[in-house]
Order: sequence, then structure tokens, then C-alpha cells
Amino acid sequence: MNEELQLKLQAYLDGELPEAEAREVAAWLAQDSGAVGLMTELKNTRAALALHERGVNVPESREFYWSKIRREIERSDAAAHRPAPAPVSPFKWLRRALAPGMGLALVVATLFLITRPGTTAPGLGLTVATADAGTFTYRNFESGATLVWLPYPAENRLAGGGSGGNLQQQ
Amino acid sequence: MAEKNHSTAADLKLVEWAQGGDMDAFEELVARHRDKIYARAYSMMRSEDVALDLSQEAWVRAWQRLQQFQGDSSFSTWLTRITINLCLDQLRKQKRQKAESIEEMDEESGGVERQMPAVTINPTERLERGELRQRIDTALGQLSHEHRTVLVLHEFEEMEYKEIAKTMECSIGTVMSRLFYARRKMAALLAGLKNED
Repeated sequence: MNEELQLKLQAYLDGELPEAEAREVAAWLAQDSGAVGLMTELKNTRAALALHERGVNVPESREFYWSKIRREIERSDAAAHRPAPAPVSPFKWLRRALAPGMGLALVVATLFLITRPGTTAPGLGLTVATADAGTFTYRNFESGATLVWLPYPAENRLAGGGSGGNLQQQ
Repeated sequence: MAEKNHSTAADLKLVEWAQGGDMDAFEELVARHRDKIYARAYSMMRSEDVALDLSQEAWVRAWQRLQQFQGDSSFSTWLTRITINLCLDQLRKQKRQKAESIEEMDEESGGVERQMPAVTINPTERLERGELRQRIDTALGQLSHEHRTVLVLHEFEEMEYKEIAKTMECSIGTVMSRLFYARRKMAALLAGLKNED
């Protein structure tokens, strides 16, 4: 029996043949013992598999099985409701790279102003403070102006949710 | 408003309640169908741990997609399809990770099994139920995942060739060939004509 006939016999068993072809196979089965033998084998295998399927159960208690599902549902629901992170600026890396250098430049400029002979006007108050790591304050008591340098990254609480180094003037 | 009785409600009613956020209704559905879903995953994956994980993942997916369930089929059928797709995805991943073995390539052609004489012994009559189950289990484990999946979808899910071809993304001819090979190999293994190693 060639492969095509074997597959046709199987299709007959599975009810997949058009009516005309099914009639042909039925006639063939009536006179070919080889085809009958193969058909019997296919039927027996099907019956055995049907029996097997009924015996498989979850190897865990109902409560334990459900608890894992529930936990995962709650976890995924929480993740779905979490706000999306703020969009990342394409210049973030540049600000991050320049922030320490700019802070240092501010210190140097301040020291230069303090130490430069003849430039300190009477009554000029000048304070450089490092209240937090990397934070500098410049205060001019005469004019009442204050400049605060807040470095990046934003995890510094003084910077709040701001992005990058900020100069605030009061 | 009438009080909900989860244990006596029909599946469709439970689904309706679950669609409204009633987690207890969903738990009742899990309790009712967990064995069938696990059995399907196990028959395809052949590993208790993997079957547990995938069956539970299927339930989570079902919860997330519950609004998409329109009742065109039974809830059980809908969920089983989710499980089958998850298993197929997992099997495809596994297949990508390891090259097909020589045996599996040989199975694809199924040349040897096609030439075997027909096994006319009925295993359901000859073997004790426990022994038969054990043999079927072993035999299923010896099939490549493609052959096993075709067998499972056809014999257990009662899918037609066309539907199996669509699910497995192959031709109907391939489905027929794989199914034939898988059945013949199962018959030989159940009759003890072929080494189970």
C-alpha cells in the first residue's frame, strides 16, 4: 500500500473525505485485508488515547494552584496601572556629562571673583555653600540676588523632579 | 439584587461576573476546568512543572482577555485554545534553542513506520488500565513535539485537519502525514513491538 492510499484510509477514518471518495474507500476496505488491518490498528490507537486523556489531574491543591494564578493577576494588574515613566530627553546624556564640569566651573569662577584684587566692591557679600553634595549657592547681599546650582542627577532632593542642573535666581 | 451563587452558576454566568471584575467567579472557573487545562498542557509539553506553569499562565491570559470572550465557543474550548497556543509558542522557542535531532528528522519522513505490518492487537483489551496509561505516556514522550501536537489536537481536541494546519502553521498534507506517522508509532509502542528506549 503506498503512502497516498494509507493517508486516504486515515482520512476516511477521520471523516475527512468527500462523500464520493469515502464510498471508494469503503469498497476498497471490503476486499482488501491489508487495508482492514491498518484501519483496525488506527481505530485501536484512537481508543487507547481516549482512555489515557481522562487520567491527568493537576498535582496541586485547588487553593495552592489558584493562589499562584491570583498573585500573578494582581501583579500584572498593578503593573498595568503603574504610570508610564517620563519620556527621556535625547540630551540627558549631555547634561549628565557636563553637570560636574559646570559645577566645578562655578566654583572656580567664584573663587576667581573673591581672590581677584580690586574687584570686590564695598558692601558686596558673597557666600559659597555646599549644603548638599554638588550644590552651590552664590548670594549677593547688596543686590539681594541668590544663585543656586543644583547638579544632575535629579535624585538630589533639592532638585526635586527637575531635569538636569538648574540655576535658580531669587 | 439576588445573591451570587458561584458554585451552582453556569460557566457563562461566571464569565459574565468575572468580566465585571468578580475574582471569586473566576476562581470557580479555575476550579472547574483546571484539570482539563493542565492535562492539555501536559500532553503537549511532557513535563509536570512546565505544564503547571503554562496552564497557570493560560489562566492569567484568560483573565486579561476576558472581555474578548464573546461566547462563540464554550469557555473551556476558548481557554484550551489559549493554552495550546502558549504551548506551541514555548515549543517553538525550545526548538529554536536546540537543533532537531537526527531521530526527529527521521520521524518527519516516518519511512520505517509506514512499512510496518499493521498491529491488530487491541491494547485496551490486552493491557491493564494503569499499564496502558504508562505505555501511552512513554510513547507520547517519544514522539517529536510536532507529531505529538498533531495527535493531541486531533485525538483530544477533535480538531479537523484544516484547523490543525492553521494552528500549527503548516499544510494539510503535513498534518495528515504527521498524524499517520504518530498513530503508527503509538500502535507499535503500545503493542511492545518497538523498543521504548
